[in-house]
Amino acid sequence: MSERTLRNQSRDPLAVEYSAALAGLSVVPIATFFAAFVVGGLTLAGQRSLGSTILGIEIETVLTALLFVAGGCLLAISVGSRYGVIETTPDRSAGLGVASGFGFVAFSGIGLAMSQTFGLGRLVWAPLALIGGLTVAGAIVFAREDLGVTVPAGLFSVAIGSLVLFDGLTPAWAWSPAGFGVTFNGTVLIPLLTIVAGLVTAWAAANAFEGFGAAGRQAGAFFLIGANATLILLVLLLLIAFIVKNGFWYAVDGIEIGPGLNFHWPFVMDGYDVVLNQKGIYPAIIGTFWLVVGALVMAVPIGVGAAVFLTEYAEEGRFTSVIDIATNGLWSTPSVVFGLFGYAFLVPRLGNNTSLLAGMIVLGFMLLPLVLITSREAIKSVPDEYRDASAALGVSKWETIKDVTIPSAMPGIVTGIIIGIGRIAGETAPILIVTADNPQRSSAPAIMGSFELTTSPPFIVNEALLSGSSALPYQLYGAITTGVVGDDPGYGWATAFVLLLVVLSFYVIGITTRIYFRKKLQA
Amino acid sequence: MSNTQNASHDPAESNRDDRSADAVTQTTAGESQEETQTEWTDYEFRGEPKLSVDDLDVYYGDERALQGITMDIPENSVTALIGPSGCGKSTFLRCLNRMNDRIKSASVDGSVELEGEEIYQDGLDLVTLRKRVGMVFQSPNPFPKTIRDNISYGPRKHGDIETGLLARLLGDDSGEREEKLVERCLKQAALWEEVSDRLDDNALGLSGGQQQRLCIARCLAVDPEVILMDEPASALDPIATAKIEDLIEELAEEYTVVVVTHNMQQAARISDQTAVFLTGGELVEFDDTDKIFENPESQRVEDYVTGKFG
Amino acid sequence: MSNSLRTSDSSDIENPTAGDGRSPVLVAGGATLAGALLSFLFVPGVTVFFVLAFLGVAVYGWFVHQEATAKGLMFLATISTALVLVLITAYLFLRSFPAFEQMGLEILYTNGDYWSRGDDRYSLYPAIWGTVLTTILATLVAAPLGVASAIFISEIAPSWAHEIVKPAVETLAGIPSIVYGFIGFTIINGYMMDNFGLTSSGSIVVVGVVVGLMALPTVASVAEDAISSVPDHMKDGAVAIGATEWQTIKSVTLPASFSGISAAVLLGVGRAVGETMAATVILGNVMQLPEPLYNVFGNTVTLTSLIASQYGNAHGLHMQALFAAGVILFLTVMALSITAQLIEARVKQNLGGEL
Ligand SMILES: Nc1ncnc2c1ncn2[C@@H]1O[C@H](COP(=O)(O)OP(=O)(O)OP(=O)(O)O)[C@@H](O)[C@H]1O
Ligand SMILES: [Mg+2]
Repeated sequence: MSERTLRNQSRDPLAVEYSAALAGLSVVPIATFFAAFVVGGLTLAGQRSLGSTILGIEIETVLTALLFVAGGCLLAISVGSRYGVIETTPDRSAGLGVASGFGFVAFSGIGLAMSQTFGLGRLVWAPLALIGGLTVAGAIVFAREDLGVTVPAGLFSVAIGSLVLFDGLTPAWAWSPAGFGVTFNGTVLIPLLTIVAGLVTAWAAANAFEGFGAAGRQAGAFFLIGANATLILLVLLLLIAFIVKNGFWYAVDGIEIGPGLNFHWPFVMDGYDVVLNQKGIYPAIIGTFWLVVGALVMAVPIGVGAAVFLTEYAEEGRFTSVIDIATNGLWSTPSVVFGLFGYAFLVPRLGNNTSLLAGMIVLGFMLLPLVLITSREAIKSVPDEYRDASAALGVSKWETIKDVTIPSAMPGIVTGIIIGIGRIAGETAPILIVTADNPQRSSAPAIMGSFELTTSPPFIVNEALLSGSSALPYQLYGAITTGVVGDDPGYGWATAFVLLLVVLSFYVIGITTRIYFRKKLQA
Repeated sequence: MSNTQNASHDPAESNRDDRSADAVTQTTAGESQEETQTEWTDYEFRGEPKLSVDDLDVYYGDERALQGITMDIPENSVTALIGPSGCGKSTFLRCLNRMNDRIKSASVDGSVELEGEEIYQDGLDLVTLRKRVGMVFQSPNPFPKTIRDNISYGPRKHGDIETGLLARLLGDDSGEREEKLVERCLKQAALWEEVSDRLDDNALGLSGGQQQRLCIARCLAVDPEVILMDEPASALDPIATAKIEDLIEELAEEYTVVVVTHNMQQAARISDQTAVFLTGGELVEFDDTDKIFENPESQRVEDYVTGKFG
Repeated sequence: MSNSLRTSDSSDIENPTAGDGRSPVLVAGGATLAGALLSFLFVPGVTVFFVLAFLGVAVYGWFVHQEATAKGLMFLATISTALVLVLITAYLFLRSFPAFEQMGLEILYTNGDYWSRGDDRYSLYPAIWGTVLTTILATLVAAPLGVASAIFISEIAPSWAHEIVKPAVETLAGIPSIVYGFIGFTIINGYMMDNFGLTSSGSIVVVGVVVGLMALPTVASVAEDAISSVPDHMKDGAVAIGATEWQTIKSVTLPASFSGISAAVLLGVGRAVGETMAATVILGNVMQLPEPLYNVFGNTVTLTSLIASQYGNAHGLHMQALFAAGVILFLTVMALSITAQLIEARVKQNLGGEL
């Protein structure tokens, strides 16, 4: 048999060697990143100023210190790894990606400094910056991976720290690039750059923690991907927390309970009436309720019916793919386009004015593709064995669908509908165009009480259905555009709070139902 | 077969004793071990034990898929694992390079040693383990890349082969080495003749048997010590199967091969020793292949290999 | 087995004698419904008669030939889904046609005077440019972060993190756009004026980032589907020869799901293009181009916010120009959606072949 050139001469040991020094040095920049993120974030959000203190130390100093500590640790790792004091397994090079990243940073840094601080012309700064960037990139490519990762990251951090320390960048510093109408202030840039440098050093440190090489690159990548996931969670939580914080107390203000069954919640149960000094959103809540009910009546039978037909009766082929393309197209159609369509198609035929009914139909059209797609998925995922078993007993296809397929697909269908409700309850643009009239109304549409029989077609009329209405998202929009928010911001926040509560409840219920049924299926 | 017979050495026993002294996980495993071993304790061990499995239990959630497996797999030989469907052969095989780590519900208890080094220890480097213990799967799973890239995939990931811009910048282009490696591995896997003129074609264009040999070549390219194969020929026709069988026998000169098969004749043809698993995830008998097929200790094994059961 | 079930023959098991009774019912049902639709299009007043007749036929059919009626109704439901799209297309084009006719190509691009009610000149150029710019920014946010979350959810997250992040991303999709707009309007716009010295409320960069955040869940969930549909045995092949998880993701999983991920990004772009309320509320909706063109700190208008902010007092050509904006939006998003679907169909074929 042929000679094996690659046989590992010495068998690689299975266990990873653990270096306490490396672990210690590389954990620090990760910790400082979190500290910089929190402190810098608070500063950026305006909760703290750069001059204020944390634990008796000025924030500007804290941020500078974090930069120096993180950079210092990385540089220490680089020295240790280079001289073999710290055991690592770096590759030959950090690679072109890292090189071009840091090269670009160097290019921009040098370019900005030359052109803006020293006012050099493009012909001077551009070549200099290019040379600088290429030098950095080249150095990284040809250096061993441990150095190529830690040194530039460490130097970046230390450089920004020094800028702040030696007053190259102060809170009072400001830069307005000509012609853009924007000013970058030190108060924003200092915390922002600290966070960015923190992220870079933490990435390098995660890489170093695993001793570089394939494992190190994995750690670095996973750190960034994990940080991204955390950031998204954080954004969601902050959004919700912010709205709750600003809207909750306004919304629950003045609730009276008792005596007896008497319960009054002004914000939710009153209309908007300047004379009575009421500022409630009851009409909008009722409007949204009826819109959702109407859309469901429209979309659920059509959507589920079409899903059953497509999955159970239609042959997979041109017909189904045309319908699929149409459905997905409808799903992507912008809501404002639905609104325009309703304005052109429905409004002239339903009394020539905006109306609740038009809103119901348009929202129904928007809900339709969602119901169809999710129901189709759910019906498709019912195993064929169920159908076969039923058919083998001589049960007709329709009976099988009624008794076996639809009940098994029910959880999926219901989940889809619930999440769909969440989506349309928050839709603003179509309502704005086909339903809205005065957003701040004093009374809610009385649908149930407005049915009237007539002798001429259409025999049943409902005045309330054919007139405009408010709805929660539209109420919020109206509050912004009519300036109510300007005078009374709490009113806007409270409306947003109730809207969010309504919409997210449907999402939470929908997602929980799905998780519940999935767990049940697995068990 | 060129196995070094080593009759004076009896590592099966001595090794097991050594281990129970230092392994922490199985202080109470003594009894169950005895039970499962009674039927074949007189098996004479050949060669060096490459892998020693000791009292291995595997669970999927609460379901036990393997119970108390203990066996020593000798170096440079073919070990066949046979048994009825669902008895845990694949599960066992996947324990040997910790591929079971990738199944969330799976948990493993017990010890597996590769040349005396525990592979279920904390801080184990999975990458190194899998480099040393390669695996070929039941259905061929080449990457949707060219034939060449399939072979050089492993060495590239381990930094042994570098091509492209970076490598050229560093003056370290191993394109030539890659060519040699590709040729050697394909020859070793008896595929070179068939594909040498289309190395840049997509591997998915190969036939099933060719794909499987490509997967074997891909595995050889990282130069493993042990090759695990899970029914490598089950998806192939008789001619392709015969090629794979020849290949396995040849590989055993340099590698330790563990192969799962459903085909009794195949096991008899290619393996040096055979382990018989029976339903419930228990190892019933492990012995020289000849012994298992001609004169097994256990009645159940006899029933199984003669087709009365299973 | 299941294939033979997909023909309608089996219905005869239940109604062996119904063969000839069914077709009149179907014909009557179809005719009355078509009548209802046509009358609604042209004489809405008499629609009710057709609807009642249709209901009558449907009820009769339900009791006499249940399966055939159900099947017929479901077929009608299927057709009407496509019909909605046809109606949307027809009405948008119908209403916008005069604007295209009158403005010619100037509706897409013109120099100088874009929008003037006095001269009845309505060029959508600034709105198109505003949409392009915000969409680019939004994609820069949504694509990398969305794909990274998809990788996290389907490949990296331990199960506890999976249980948290996946619902969180979905919930993010649930926050109504007007709420984003409200926060942008009340908080971020002010913040930008205070801290970045912007002179007017609203800037492209804010809209871009906010809309990117809103498109992120679409990218994440579609990309996650694509990534998790890469079969395990393909990844196992890489892991089993000692590739790290990250190497496997980079060199096997992502290339194999590349088309699906591009489809996800396209759908995200579609979301960003069509996002209305956040843009309407945050932007100043001024019919002007940013100066210089790529000045993301400038103020402008997008196609969506143009419609939402002006439909109320528009008549004649002005209204038709807004419909023209709707047509451009609709065509763009349709093109994105169809491309994404073609890509996804190809993915299915490819992965199917590799199995
Ligand atoms: N991922 C898994 N999750 C849960 N249970 C599993 C899983 N994989 C295997 N099992 C169960 O473990 C037992 C052993 O399975 P395994 O695949 O090892 O059998 P096998 O001997 O390889 O069978 P075959 O010859 O059919 O390949 C079976 O009962 C199987 O149902
Ligand atoms: Mg198996």
